[in-house]
Amino acid sequence: MKPKVAFFDFASCEGCQLAVLNCEDVFLNILELVDIVEFREAMSETAPRFDVAFIEGSIHREQDVQRLQDIRARSTVLVAMGACACMGNVQARSNFIAPAQNFQWVYGEAERNSLQTDPEFWPLWAHTRVRAVKEIVAVDFELRGCPMVPEEFVHLVKSLVIGSTPHFPANAVCVECKMDENECVFDHGETCMGPITYGGCKAVCVTGGYRCDGCRGLLPHAHREAHRWLLKEKGLSDAHIDNRYRLFCSTQFQGREKP
Amino acid sequence: MSIKGGDSVRAFIIRKNAVSDWIKHLARKNSVSFPQRAGHSGFRFKPVLETSEIQFEHYRPTLAPPGKQLTPAREVLFKYRKNATADPMLESVLDSQARVLAGVRPCDLKAIDLMDRVNREGFSNPHYLTRRENTVIIAHDCLQPCDAACFCAATGSLHWRANADVFLTSLDDEILVECLSERGIALAQGDHFTLCENTEPHKKRAEALRTQPFGRQFPVPLEQLPAIIAKQWQSRVWEKHVEHCFSCGSCNMVCPTCYCFNVVDDFNLADGDSGTRTSTWDGCMLPNFSEVAGGHNFRPHPAARQRHRVKRKFEYLSQRFQEPGFCIGCGRCARQCTAQIDIFSIVSDLVSQGENDPCVP
Repeated sequence: MKPKVAFFDFASCEGCQLAVLNCEDVFLNILELVDIVEFREAMSETAPRFDVAFIEGSIHREQDVQRLQDIRARSTVLVAMGACACMGNVQARSNFIAPAQNFQWVYGEAERNSLQTDPEFWPLWAHTRVRAVKEIVAVDFELRGCPMVPEEFVHLVKSLVIGSTPHFPANAVCVECKMDENECVFDHGETCMGPITYGGCKAVCVTGGYRCDGCRGLLPHAHREAHRWLLKEKGLSDAHIDNRYRLFCSTQFQGREKP
Repeated sequence: MSIKGGDSVRAFIIRKNAVSDWIKHLARKNSVSFPQRAGHSGFRFKPVLETSEIQFEHYRPTLAPPGKQLTPAREVLFKYRKNATADPMLESVLDSQARVLAGVRPCDLKAIDLMDRVNREGFSNPHYLTRRENTVIIAHDCLQPCDAACFCAATGSLHWRANADVFLTSLDDEILVECLSERGIALAQGDHFTLCENTEPHKKRAEALRTQPFGRQFPVPLEQLPAIIAKQWQSRVWEKHVEHCFSCGSCNMVCPTCYCFNVVDDFNLADGDSGTRTSTWDGCMLPNFSEVAGGHNFRPHPAARQRHRVKRKFEYLSQRFQEPGFCIGCGRCARQCTAQIDIFSIVSDLVSQGENDPCVP
């Protein structure tokens, strides 16, 4: 029997699900190997149990937590798909701002004040703490990046179907930059998250002329002290550096490293 | 394949302003790579087009060494197909396209020679050797060090000639063209070339023009380094030089004599009974490089990995291939290192420690 696969979205742009649908040249082949039983971006059916559940998006509200726990209980393998699910993505920056301040910026002071007393939305902080999927349930595999890399998705599906262990090397973005003979971003006066960021993206941003902003998260062995030293050497302030880390990696970057 | 010099040496003189025409003429019939400007500062070996800028001055070592064209970063080694009644069918993927590497500097020439030996001796690598046999090398001498990072004279690379098919030496407004193989002679054809009966005066002129001393020098001769470094296992030098190391592996990826690789098998989605085996570059500075089944890692600390890298370049491979210095002194690893780690400084520190402060037993 073909494995039953489902896709669920939480707080996200659904871009990772689109990236799945964009695997056009192999998508029909994937459908030969698996049964997709839930996929809101593509179909309306639902199912009671799943062999593999792909979770897109970060987790904010208590009802999201319950929904996620329910999906986990009904799934054999659970995959966090994309930067939102893996580490909270850009929205997790709001974890460093008081909820009342945040709501005022977004909705204005009057709206904020009325929301603050509305029982439907109370308490505010319960709606604003952004969490990665693994902060709530056990995650078996992570598809990193914003958006996730289609080749890694296909590799994971193939591995799960044949029962082998998928391989996502914990190497810095620099490895693929050098394979593509990219000039080092630091060599043209810019700064880069590449040396401490999880590779596997084929260094697509640097190859395209930009820098790495770290959307695939910090490596387990990331040498943050050395990276801060390097960025300061290039003229960045501590506050600027904190911002760079928090852009994508807020849930990984809780405070400054020890000097 | 004869890539040695000797009886077949023939020499010509060509005007410097005719070289560009000659290289472009070759590129009309062959796949020719030449170091060309790319990005804000660096050079890359790129295919020669009609619009390419062909010049030998203002050279800095290319980001990737030319030899890497013989072992691409990602390479399909073979295709397989399952067979119900017999062994699986395997089909090697060999790249026999003819190519010319032009503008190769002596350091990279030595690196290619060393890689020839690595890929030929013991287990021979048909993927490398097929490309190599179909590759002709036009090398160019260096009369000045490329920049402050270079130390090719200290590693015995500066005067490397052996495996060049054509060797060029720039002399003011003309270039001495020495053909060191039959294939080299075949390339140096045309009205541009004037036969040179006696190369000695030109070579003397080149030596007079060459910067002395040439680039950075080790405190002791190259031949003494393997024995000195062999004694340094618990040296504090290893820790000292990894204080800022990201373990990003850039030094491995750009090294002309790093050849470690990983292989991955993958089946075709459209037909699960067939697939490919692919090799990709790997590097000993990467944290999981020496992790084995069960999760044990033989070199979990950056200092242990750095020690391994340096000992490979100056001790292990030197002993195995009887060639002091598998580091060719091109300086690429130091140039690409955002943490400013320089193998020349590591080795110099090891030498001075060996003299003054014997390592902890």
